[in-house]
Amino acid sequence: MAATVETHADEMAPDDHPAKARFRPSAAGLVGRGIVWAAIAWLVLVFPLGRPGFEVQRFSQAVAYAIVALSLNVLLGYVGQISLGHQAFVGIGAFASAYLVTVQGQSFWVGVVGAAAIGGAQALVLGGVSLRIRGLYFALVTLSYGLVAEQNIFQIQELTGGGQGQAAPKPSGFETDWRYYYLCLAFLALVLWIDSRMMKSKGGRALLALRENPRVAATFGINVRLFTLFAFVVSGAFAGLGGALIAHNNTFVSPEVWSFNLALVFVIMTVVGGLRSRPGVVLGGAFFALMPYLVDKLGWLERALAAIPAPNDLTPELAPLVLGPILLLLTLIATPGGIGQQIRPLQGWLLGGRFDPHAQGPKEVQITDVRA
Amino acid sequence: MVDALEDRSRVIAIGAAVVVLIGIIAAAGEEEALVIGTISGAAYGLVALGLVLIYKSSGVFNFAQGEFGTVAVYTLYLLHFHVPYGVALLGAIAVATLFGLVVERAVVRPLFDAPRVILLVATAGIALLAVAIEIWFGGAQGKAVDRAFPTLDRVTVLGVQLSDQRLLLIALLVGLAALLGWFFTRTDLGVAILAASQQPTATELVGVSVRRLSSLVWALAALLGGIAGVIAIPEGGSFTPGVVTFSFLIPAFTAAVLGGMTSLPGAFLGGIIVGVVQAVATSSSLFEDIPGTPGTLMVFVVLLAVLTIRPQGLLGKTA
Repeated sequence: MAATVETHADEMAPDDHPAKARFRPSAAGLVGRGIVWAAIAWLVLVFPLGRPGFEVQRFSQAVAYAIVALSLNVLLGYVGQISLGHQAFVGIGAFASAYLVTVQGQSFWVGVVGAAAIGGAQALVLGGVSLRIRGLYFALVTLSYGLVAEQNIFQIQELTGGGQGQAAPKPSGFETDWRYYYLCLAFLALVLWIDSRMMKSKGGRALLALRENPRVAATFGINVRLFTLFAFVVSGAFAGLGGALIAHNNTFVSPEVWSFNLALVFVIMTVVGGLRSRPGVVLGGAFFALMPYLVDKLGWLERALAAIPAPNDLTPELAPLVLGPILLLLTLIATPGGIGQQIRPLQGWLLGGRFDPHAQGPKEVQITDVRA
Repeated sequence: MVDALEDRSRVIAIGAAVVVLIGIIAAAGEEEALVIGTISGAAYGLVALGLVLIYKSSGVFNFAQGEFGTVAVYTLYLLHFHVPYGVALLGAIAVATLFGLVVERAVVRPLFDAPRVILLVATAGIALLAVAIEIWFGGAQGKAVDRAFPTLDRVTVLGVQLSDQRLLLIALLVGLAALLGWFFTRTDLGVAILAASQQPTATELVGVSVRRLSSLVWALAALLGGIAGVIAIPEGGSFTPGVVTFSFLIPAFTAAVLGGMTSLPGAFLGGIIVGVVQAVATSSSLFEDIPGTPGTLMVFVVLLAVLTIRPQGLLGKTA
């Protein structure tokens, strides 16, 4: 990581402020950065240890949501295609894993890998059929597919266990909520690693190029359909994995959870997180998963929400549905880069650069205006 | 020459679709589904008209279109406690129109130059916000709402009793589609809206405010959505939060795509076709083995088939 930053700086040096490019933090600066890194590590790794089990479950859920957000980021951020049926991919991943473990008697690991494989496979089939469909029409196809999942696929008794839902026990060795939380973190790290490796490969650069302009990308020899399909499959596999983790975290999956509302929450958390910003997307996913918890825990927030003159109280479960779209609209109109844009100065500082409040990256969410 | 060829291929496509449809229905012996499908299709068509209108002018898929209808139904429900039904009906449509104006002003206009996919995300956000507020303020349980006309069996067609409300729905769809067709071809305002959608800069140059037209179109679409909501929903007797979005939006989009996304008669025809396909899939024994709601799957199949085989739809022009 550091090596790439340095080569980058060397390239920039001749024409772009040679003095600034060679910035080295002072000893105090290094200590300060170390303290902040330690605080983040404590919050993620140590803090959950001291919390009761049901709260740790929330944190595991947040990690799984972060994986789902990364999955949507591949599609929405890298390729500029929007999926409004992502709850179907996540839900099918959840049921696939639960089915493999509970009905087929396989191990958790087979379930998780199977869920990711099925997520990728259904993306391959749906993407293969709708390969030429892009942009707004693709959004429509995924939306319709989400409804099909809800009203047809999740009605298959054997897969979903009917109305009662399907049991999804935690894996052996990770039965406690704490251990399972670390397992989720490991999976998140894996997804982040795959994502970052992918974007450094030829395929990743091809995706970014075809998002900017499919025609120009095609001129440079990029197979637009193949790489779009590739991104869709990767996104589907991540979503399936996220779904499996959610299922085993709750030790139970029921069909009615995977509704259209959830698909919109997934899209919102990714956009609010900040497209193409890995830390932003992870924070966005975690934030929306934790929102009910935060409303529940933070007294001032709960009081503020209760002060709104409405006939009923805003329940913690409903809060993401009300606050999410408001945050979404604010993000789109005011700060299109989302959380990722806001934290960019801090991110640069933590990686050993100057604290530059103006380093906000691209000012707009640049999604190509794709026409179907 | 090109036009003639296009017209011919269009006629062939429509003819083929109708023949296939009648073939399916005849094979299954489902005349009742034809009538039921036409009625639900009329509601889809009415929602689809609004979608087409906004797509024609702003080039965006408006996922909030269903919520224009739901907001109108809620207003009807609340107003009917205080005022006569007719007044409540007008009030409901007015509130829906106002909602459309607010959406245009608060969300669409700031994103005027944003990519269309971003605008789509924004309208989906508005839909979710509206649904969430409905749940928050009114609870998730269903509420009863009266019909405009109490007569339930005005005429019987192929063994299906048609209420006044259903007849009104069909009449409204036909009337509004014709009215809009006239508006877009015969009035200056209609032509200006079309011009603004095709060449915004040139339209500005001849002295037409594109932004003002955008407000007008959103108000008009919301008006149509509101009418669709207050006429189609009370037929069922009750409603739940987001009812129009959840039950009408996807079939309506499929109808609009089937009709070519820019064609008002296409939206009308597409609505009826989607309604009939759904009704046949629901009642026919051929689709018994499909788990859950077979109609949903068939609508999805229709959407995929249209987009992969004939993306310009039945009545649309090649993009």
